[in-house]
Amino acid sequence: MMNGLRMYGLLFRASIRSRMQYRFNFWFSSVMLAVISIVEFLLLAIVLLKFGHIKGWSLAEAGWLFSVLSLSRALYRTVANDVHNIESYLVSGELDGLLLRPIPVLSALMSRNVSFRFGEVFQGIGILAVSMSTLMREGQIGWLSIPLTVFVILSGAVLLFAIGLITATAGFWLTRITELQNITEDAARTAVQYPMSIYPRWLQGILVGIIPVGFANYMPGLFVLRGDTGWWMLPLTACIAGALFILALFVWRFGLSRYQSTGS
Amino acid sequence: MKPMITVHQLSKSFRLPQPAPEGPFRGLRTLMSRQYTEKEAVRGVSFSIASGEFVGYIGPNGAGKSTTIKMLSGILHPTAGEVQIDGLNPHRDRRRVARRLGVLFGQRTQLWWDLPVRDSYDILAAMYGIETDRKDARITELADLLQLGEFMDTPVRKLSLGQRMRADLAAALLHDPDVLFLDEPTIGLDVVAKRSIREYLHSINVELGKTVLLTTHDMDDIEQLCSRVIVINRGTIGFDGTIDELRRRIGLPTLIRVTYRQTPVLSSTGLASYDDSSLRVTEIDGHTVTAECNREAISAMDALRLLEQYGEIEDVHMEEPHFEDVIHNLY
Repeated sequence: MMNGLRMYGLLFRASIRSRMQYRFNFWFSSVMLAVISIVEFLLLAIVLLKFGHIKGWSLAEAGWLFSVLSLSRALYRTVANDVHNIESYLVSGELDGLLLRPIPVLSALMSRNVSFRFGEVFQGIGILAVSMSTLMREGQIGWLSIPLTVFVILSGAVLLFAIGLITATAGFWLTRITELQNITEDAARTAVQYPMSIYPRWLQGILVGIIPVGFANYMPGLFVLRGDTGWWMLPLTACIAGALFILALFVWRFGLSRYQSTGS
Repeated sequence: MKPMITVHQLSKSFRLPQPAPEGPFRGLRTLMSRQYTEKEAVRGVSFSIASGEFVGYIGPNGAGKSTTIKMLSGILHPTAGEVQIDGLNPHRDRRRVARRLGVLFGQRTQLWWDLPVRDSYDILAAMYGIETDRKDARITELADLLQLGEFMDTPVRKLSLGQRMRADLAAALLHDPDVLFLDEPTIGLDVVAKRSIREYLHSINVELGKTVLLTTHDMDDIEQLCSRVIVINRGTIGFDGTIDELRRRIGLPTLIRVTYRQTPVLSSTGLASYDDSSLRVTEIDGHTVTAECNREAISAMDALRLLEQYGEIEDVHMEEPHFEDVIHNLY
């Protein structure tokens, strides 16, 4: 385990260094990612400022939901960027090289291309700080919400990772999975950037029951921000993330044994 | 001696969706079809390789070479049969086998494209858990053997193909594996680079005592390096033995070109005493006569004695069949 962490650190530094080889692209993409997600939030903010709230969610609360998800996602993609990009490994047969190493394939894949998401991290921390300080001033939440929020972010990162990994595993059978990822990763995540109460019941059902991204922010948010549910919501959130993660690892191992490689 | 690599009745088949019969919307119907065809890439392949052997594994494109190598190294799971690398199964013990294996894919680098060569070695050393002292000693040794010094700090993407191949070879040897799988290590290289890679491979086998399995389309690689050849064609093994045995089995003729002092007089009875296949005149051009000689049936000296009947011989030139032609006949 220690050795694994040390190796990961080394690979992480190497990835940063190799990205820095293309300095312009590195900074430009970081800044652009931040700008894009801030613009997304501004659209939401405009709606909220106009109407005061949507379905009972204030601007500050919506900001919390939005930024918690951004930070979870930034964390997941920083640690395991190439799980999302597995399609290129499957199409080119590059996964072969990873199977030749005496470390788990998933670790090798995760470390191949680390992308530290400065933009999303700064944007997320910024909006989160503003939202939470507003809510604290209004007396809606106390200091305890800070560790709880960190907990929700970590658990959400595990959840998004698990969903990403299960989707990636489908690639062992389907090879091309971009469209599937659009649904399970991108569309689902975009949907829960906004308070889920704005959606019809069936869609809420999907986002909680089938692709449970709702547990990355909205569900634990009900407790952390409003105390709507009991404290049990947080362990439930963590359990769902953990269970899905374990399931994802099993599915991944099974998928790997179905790997067909490519001709050469 | 205990075999290093044992392969027993190894098979691999792939399932491919069956294209729908001709007609309108064929693509769409193929997409909906649930019928598959089994494509057998490798069928019942068995061989065993002793420690320290240098074996060439050859065959035409699509014969199943790469599929076999991938099963040997644990990348693909075989449909049937068994592989053992020094007693370990590469599928059940993938990570332990990976420590004993060095693999080089000539077409694809395993180094980090944007990093200096040295950094790739650092990462690999960490993956294989090699301590810093041993790693430094090992890199110095390999840099010396493969002459990596001049580009150790250059990013991999800026290396020439020959340099990249040497760097990749060092990467495959870094963790001191017992077995090396080389998949087309000389592909795309110029004559000089090919020759130097061959010299390195030779010394890796002889001086470092590694067991090497080499696939290539370059028959000079095989002829100059391998003590043994395994030929695979359409998924099954067609030949397994030494290069000389292979030559003998194919029995391609040796060419003898004889130049006479005077214009030779070819009597119609001269060579009739011999069977047509053992010695046959194929071309007469002034003072020069070319004949094909089957060395299995007749020795070179006897052939010359026969040819001497036509006149006084001034010069003799003998040409062994090209190995490439031998292989061509086998495919």
